[in-house]
Amino acid sequence: MAIGSRLRHIVESQQFSRALLEDLFVLADDMKSQPHRYAGRLKGQLMAALFYEPSTRTRLSFEAAMLRLGGRTMGTDNAREFSSAAKGETIEDTIRIVSGYSDVIVLRHYEEGAARRAAAVSSVPVINAGDGPGQHPTQALLDLYTIRDEIGHIDGLRIAMVGDLANGRTVRSLTYLLSKFRDIRVSFVAPPQVAMRQDIKEHLDEHRVTWAETQDLDSVLPQVDVIYQTRIQKERFPDEAAYLAVKGIYRIDARAMALLRDSAIVMHPLPRVDEISPEIDSDPRAAYFRQARNGMYIRMALLDRVLS
Amino acid sequence: MRLYTNARLGLARMSVTERRLKATVMDAEQIRRSLSRIAHEIVERNHGAGEVVLVGVYSRGDHLARRLAGQLEELEGHPIAVGAIDTSEHRDDRHLREPAHRFKSDVPDVDGKVVVLVDDVIHRGRTARAAMDALLDFGRPRAIQLAVLVDRGHRELPIRPDYVGKNVPTSDSERIEVLVAEEDGLDQAVIVAG
Repeated sequence: MAIGSRLRHIVESQQFSRALLEDLFVLADDMKSQPHRYAGRLKGQLMAALFYEPSTRTRLSFEAAMLRLGGRTMGTDNAREFSSAAKGETIEDTIRIVSGYSDVIVLRHYEEGAARRAAAVSSVPVINAGDGPGQHPTQALLDLYTIRDEIGHIDGLRIAMVGDLANGRTVRSLTYLLSKFRDIRVSFVAPPQVAMRQDIKEHLDEHRVTWAETQDLDSVLPQVDVIYQTRIQKERFPDEAAYLAVKGIYRIDARAMALLRDSAIVMHPLPRVDEISPEIDSDPRAAYFRQARNGMYIRMALLDRVLS
Repeated sequence: MRLYTNARLGLARMSVTERRLKATVMDAEQIRRSLSRIAHEIVERNHGAGEVVLVGVYSRGDHLARRLAGQLEELEGHPIAVGAIDTSEHRDDRHLREPAHRFKSDVPDVDGKVVVLVDDVIHRGRTARAAMDALLDFGRPRAIQLAVLVDRGHRELPIRPDYVGKNVPTSDSERIEVLVAEEDGLDQAVIVAG
């Protein structure tokens, strides 16, 4: 209780200590198994969802979390175009005003560092729901929660991160979190154009996490507990030809699943395009829809901890 | 179980207003400068830092202690022993509180050393007393000094910090929260309504 009671803003993955993670995971487990006990938990509290970038999934997940705890929500999906931001209002002023109306602010912004700037002026907790290419800490939290839930442990994990590792903020945030655990081995499987960036590799070295880089997915598949697949983001490539050259080279299909261990799982932050074949959706190792559902429970736990 | 649940819900309800920020008393830059000044004061008072060991009080004080140690190492050019201590076993209000999360104390050799205890806020002085008791379980320091980022007054024990980042007069019903980037994502000291 003591740790949770001091939680205020959620700005970046690095701020989660192992003790805090464990506290959140235990609470999320309980919320999942006994939802009725928490139905009135945040009664009378109001969450503002301030989205400067569209994100249906993250926003609905937060709203569902707040509503399931008995709280209420308000928000805007197009804060960038339609709010006072279009008139030139700074993020600081917007936050000062919205924090006067609400008890917690969930912020998605297009600029790296926006969440920290918002937290510094807000009179209520700010939760970063993604700030540009920077961080997406609640996604990393739900990813880690899913690994613990599905595999049973995090220490000793073998994980392969696959696809667009240069532009995916989810893999960046998750890697930060994993470095807090023991005996983790990470394989980065990516085309050279979108390989994992140097800063993350240095962070792993500093935290003595073993990592390797390869372009050969088949050699990695039989060795890992988790395949973390990501979408190759078409919009990040200079032209169509460059995109087509790497598109679909790391497809997870029935053939790939045959190489994967029985106890392993496939994760994906979603949305997917064609990097995971729908034919494997019914395979019990396909964990991505359970992963998305876990997002709601872990956000319920987070909202509870910042508001209690 | 029922009683416990109700107590938890009661706490949650109270906190609607409790957690609302009233004012920022220190921003990130002020905290950085205060820690830098305290590091200089520690060196001045102890004629260097050769015998100095820093021990932070969980939670938040441990991070401040590590930062101060980093500053002392820069000033003095040698490594500084740094540790962290959990006070829950030694608190005088253990019977009044819900069981709190325990942290694992990690205290370097303190025998014959000058130990600077580091905490984020001093208020009634009871945590500082518990920290001194806890520390003495680990050895017999030559002296114990106390560094805090914020002194908010209202002492109930004869304890006075040796190094203070900022004195902040508060009313008894308010609370001070110190946020540190390592755990909170940013550095800030705020007053929240009680």
